Amino acid sequence: MSTEQEASPAIGTAPNGVKRREFLKVLGVGTAATTMLGCSSESVEKLIPYLVSPDQTVPGVSTYYATTCRECSAGCGVMAETRDGRTIKLEGNPDHPVNRGALCARGQAALQGLYNPDRYRGPMVRRSGQLQSVSWDEALQIFAQKLGETRSRGAGSAVFINQHESGSFPGFLDGWLAGFGMPAHLSYDADADHAAIAANRQSYGVAWPRFDFRAARLVVSIGADFLDSWGAMVPQQLDFADARADYEAAPRLIYIGPRRSLTGLNADQWIDCRPGSEMAIVRMLQRQLPIEAVAEATGVSASVLDAFGREFAATKPSMVLAGGGGADGLEVALAANALNQSRGNVGVTIKPNEGYLGFDGMAAPAELRALAERMNSGGVPLLMVRGANPAFTLPKSAGFAAAMAKVPFKVSFSSYPDETSELADLILPDHHSLEQWGDAEPVRGTISLQQPTMDPVFDTRATSDVLIAAAKKDPGSAARYPMADYRSWLIGRFPGGAAGLAAALPRGIASGSLGESTKARPVPPVRAAKPIEQSSGNMYLVVYPHPFIGDGRGANKPWLQEIPDPVTKICWQTVAEMNPVTAEKMGLANGDFVTVQTSAGSLTLPVLRYPGMQRETVAIATGRGHTHAGRYAKAGFNPLEILPVAEDRAGGVAFVSTKANVSKAGGYAQIVTTEGSARQHGRGIGQAIAIADLKAGRPGHDTGGGAEHGEEMPGEAPHEFLPGLRSPVANDAQGEQGDPNANDKGMYDPNHWSGMAKRRWAMTIDLARCTGCAACVSACYAENNIPTVGADWQTGKVLPDKTGFGANILRSREMAWIRIERYYEGGEDGGADFDTRFVPMMCQHCGNAPCEPVCPVYATYHSPDGLNVQVYNRCVGTRYCSNNCPYKVRYFNWFGYGEPARAQYAFPEPLNWQLNPDVTVRGKGVMEKCTFCVQRIREAENRATAEKRELNPDEFTTACAASCPSRAIVFGDAADANWTVTQLAKDARAYHVFEELNTYTAVVYLKKVSHPTPATAGTA
Amino acid sequence: MNLRSRWFAVPGFVCIAALATMLSAYSGASSSEGNSPVQPVAFRHTIHVDTLKMNCLYCHFSANKSVDPGLPAVGTCMGCHTVVSGSSPGNKAEIQKLAAFWNKKQPVPWVRIHKLPEYVHFPHMRHVNAGVTCQTCHGQIQNMKQVYQASSLNMGWCVNCHIGQSNPPFRARYDCSSCHY
Repeated sequence: MSTEQEASPAIGTAPNGVKRREFLKVLGVGTAATTMLGCSSESVEKLIPYLVSPDQTVPGVSTYYATTCRECSAGCGVMAETRDGRTIKLEGNPDHPVNRGALCARGQAALQGLYNPDRYRGPMVRRSGQLQSVSWDEALQIFAQKLGETRSRGAGSAVFINQHESGSFPGFLDGWLAGFGMPAHLSYDADADHAAIAANRQSYGVAWPRFDFRAARLVVSIGADFLDSWGAMVPQQLDFADARADYEAAPRLIYIGPRRSLTGLNADQWIDCRPGSEMAIVRMLQRQLPIEAVAEATGVSASVLDAFGREFAATKPSMVLAGGGGADGLEVALAANALNQSRGNVGVTIKPNEGYLGFDGMAAPAELRALAERMNSGGVPLLMVRGANPAFTLPKSAGFAAAMAKVPFKVSFSSYPDETSELADLILPDHHSLEQWGDAEPVRGTISLQQPTMDPVFDTRATSDVLIAAAKKDPGSAARYPMADYRSWLIGRFPGGAAGLAAALPRGIASGSLGESTKARPVPPVRAAKPIEQSSGNMYLVVYPHPFIGDGRGANKPWLQEIPDPVTKICWQTVAEMNPVTAEKMGLANGDFVTVQTSAGSLTLPVLRYPGMQRETVAIATGRGHTHAGRYAKAGFNPLEILPVAEDRAGGVAFVSTKANVSKAGGYAQIVTTEGSARQHGRGIGQAIAIADLKAGRPGHDTGGGAEHGEEMPGEAPHEFLPGLRSPVANDAQGEQGDPNANDKGMYDPNHWSGMAKRRWAMTIDLARCTGCAACVSACYAENNIPTVGADWQTGKVLPDKTGFGANILRSREMAWIRIERYYEGGEDGGADFDTRFVPMMCQHCGNAPCEPVCPVYATYHSPDGLNVQVYNRCVGTRYCSNNCPYKVRYFNWFGYGEPARAQYAFPEPLNWQLNPDVTVRGKGVMEKCTFCVQRIREAENRATAEKRELNPDEFTTACAASCPSRAIVFGDAADANWTVTQLAKDARAYHVFEELNTYTAVVYLKKVSHPTPATAGTA
Repeated sequence: MNLRSRWFAVPGFVCIAALATMLSAYSGASSSEGNSPVQPVAFRHTIHVDTLKMNCLYCHFSANKSVDPGLPAVGTCMGCHTVVSGSSPGNKAEIQKLAAFWNKKQPVPWVRIHKLPEYVHFPHMRHVNAGVTCQTCHGQIQNMKQVYQASSLNMGWCVNCHIGQSNPPFRARYDCSSCHY
């Protein structure tokens, strides 16, 4: 067997003619077949062996395949952990130049795309109005026939829309299209900021430069949500967190925009300008507009603008980023870039040479709108769509879905049902990106490889292979496609051929370039903007991409629906965000319905009072409210239904600054949120210290949430990990062996032969790094088999008043072993001057845990190595522990989310294929919580023992820490000075949450470092 | 169900449940001990292990390197049995059954005998590499004409060994979180 095959799983049909997956499905698992007889372990399970053992795999031991993430355009590298033929977890590839080992929530959730229960099972064709399953042979025959017909009837008007991706595929596709006489494809990404890309190309010569936050002293973001989904999110977050962690040299971040996004909440200052007035501020910085005029246009007070202007003039080097999708987006972005050039920032803080290439060659939404007009006039004989969903992601008023009816034949290559594929006549479902071959060139000089990590879940085929098969059937193209499949085509182009690819695959990257032929499209021309038509209304409407669900492609992934939005903390719901002061004036409480009326339509949805809104603005997130995208995607509303089409000069949709009439409507819906309070009420959960205090060695008191200046805050006491039991008052939970005066402490004695008490597993969380992005939460869902509980069929039937998506969460029956708490400091009057604290909160693994002594059945106890353990077998579900937990991190399994026979089952086939076999799937009636990834601890210990050695410092980490794109979470053994966590716990900023309760937690938080505006700094 | 029958049904269920609990508690708990189902192919550990002296790891190939001991693929069986057809008519018949599965390209649906309760993790390699023989838990498997469950697989039986009360004595961590997570 060649090394290349060793590095990749067998694809398709095994040599013996039997699909390996068929056997993997039933291999030695059989829990579904379990029939319990009384209390015995007797059952009728079968053990199904392989017919032929696959090489290079050991049952129960993970294999890792390096591949490329395709969830956004950045092109991060991932390592796919595969166990017994199924991919169960994605981690960032540490060697990859883009994401350097980190992975965001969307990347983690790729698995729920792979195992999505609503995926197309196989090819389908529309017959008498209905989609019917057909064989691939038949489907390919129909496809080839339609291609032939189109060739004879003017193929020059046929259209292929591809979900934007970088790499060889765009060039391959254009070559294929040319063979049929068709024009180059449209590469579409509804998430992209087309104005910023066009401006960058014009100013810097690249679509997306690298932003070196470390080099900057001041970062000005004008609606550029670089921590949300603006550009290459993960590397931007890595760079930003690194810059902020070096707190003495950290840049200040000022956010300018009508809505304080996640990036805005991470800013030290927010300037809440009116939507569409960003240009005035840029012109002020260029000294072209007097402050009074700017104040008039933006609604911001002249003193704030004056201070900002002077700070900007005095600080070098700086960085000005502009995005956000106004109607004058291109002009603003160009002006911002000009500022960077005149301030000498280019090459210093903005590095075009280290840019990201994944944003090249995109088609603008304006081109799709023009296409819709062409389709409407009957000018498009054949439409092919792969991955993209323009019928949903373009404003409904662009009329794309309606225009599709005028196209005689539509082919969809989508893996999933969506609003576009639902209108197609032929569906040739593509493999998921984790099932197919490909490549990308995310940064210059590095090829990022994409390989299948497992056999296909369903009867799908890679579109690239389908295109080759179709070309072979066409007399005009056949000669140019002698290769068997797309993989052979890639090998033929790869430097070093098959051997080179085999050598590169294990690392997932290779140095080299895919060449210019892959940059499929020329720079699109700057066009006349389609102006905003509606200029009347009592408020501005801001439509923004949801940080997880994006343009809607994540909507059918229950993790992304259930993980609360980092800013609003809302799940499963679409709300209209308004400033509390405005809402108060209109008599609107949280959850009251409002009607948002534009020239394109109206939408009635509940209000959320969000202090991060400019007072004349209402904001709605995109992505939810699907009609045809699966069972989870129905939740919420789609604001694009009421967004009138307007475009900037780069052809991007103008998402902000449309005017709308907002009025109170009758009715009320409870807000689906996991948040109890957005304020700390003086509890000191998320603490911060001003940079001046930190430098001066002062404790920095005014940071714990409402405490009077100078008052001692909770958590100021010196912290340390105590030896031995690590808690002098933990006797209750450990009985006799917990008594510090006892002669026999059993395994709790550090000198015990088992050596278990030599270790104290602990964690540090640096709030100066944490941006609240919730990647850790998604990683925890993936690693620990956390069920989602918010789907509308998962609710109990007892209380009929609370139904629909999120009903369980309304009843406080949420489930998340780690959550991000988000607290506001200041701004109680609804003003813009407030600070935000993000606090990742999971089980604190207290040395003196309040949950332990109240458990009547000893289901929870403190282990010798410092874990607060939950033994599911013992738990009888009294929930006393949860009552007594001051951190509220214990979650009760109310409905048997892990039991397939129940209606509330959280993992409908094949979502259950993703379940981690190392972690128990909990049944009904048990309490669950963070385990510090005990399965990873035990696995590392097993590995070390097998290799007859001790654990190496930082040898492994938890799922949350591994994923964190801010590197805020560090896990390790606090009893061993060689682990990083031990060093970090000694930091001057360290504190325990609720230290005054003597819980002796194993989680140490490092205070956020605040950088106040220079005018007020130093007065503390 | 009328009111009257419900009054009888509830205490009746409680009585039966209590009786069942007491029975299972005093019968040495796991009633699956001694369980010996008939297998689709009468594989003889006696011949392979006792007579031919084959190492357990030849078939259960990952017992010393994974939590999962590994179940031999049908192809592993056929590695020998394409040339070894059996010495007695009974054995020949069983080997032909195996060959029939192979020819149909179907795996042999073995009936599972040893199964730990839910929520318990048992890493085979830790035990094998610590010198615990297969027989310690699985019994004298080389002498079993038809494999049966020799041990109760109860927690008490596990812990007994972990705290050094077995013969020969072993000792290992007996903390709950060693196995329960």
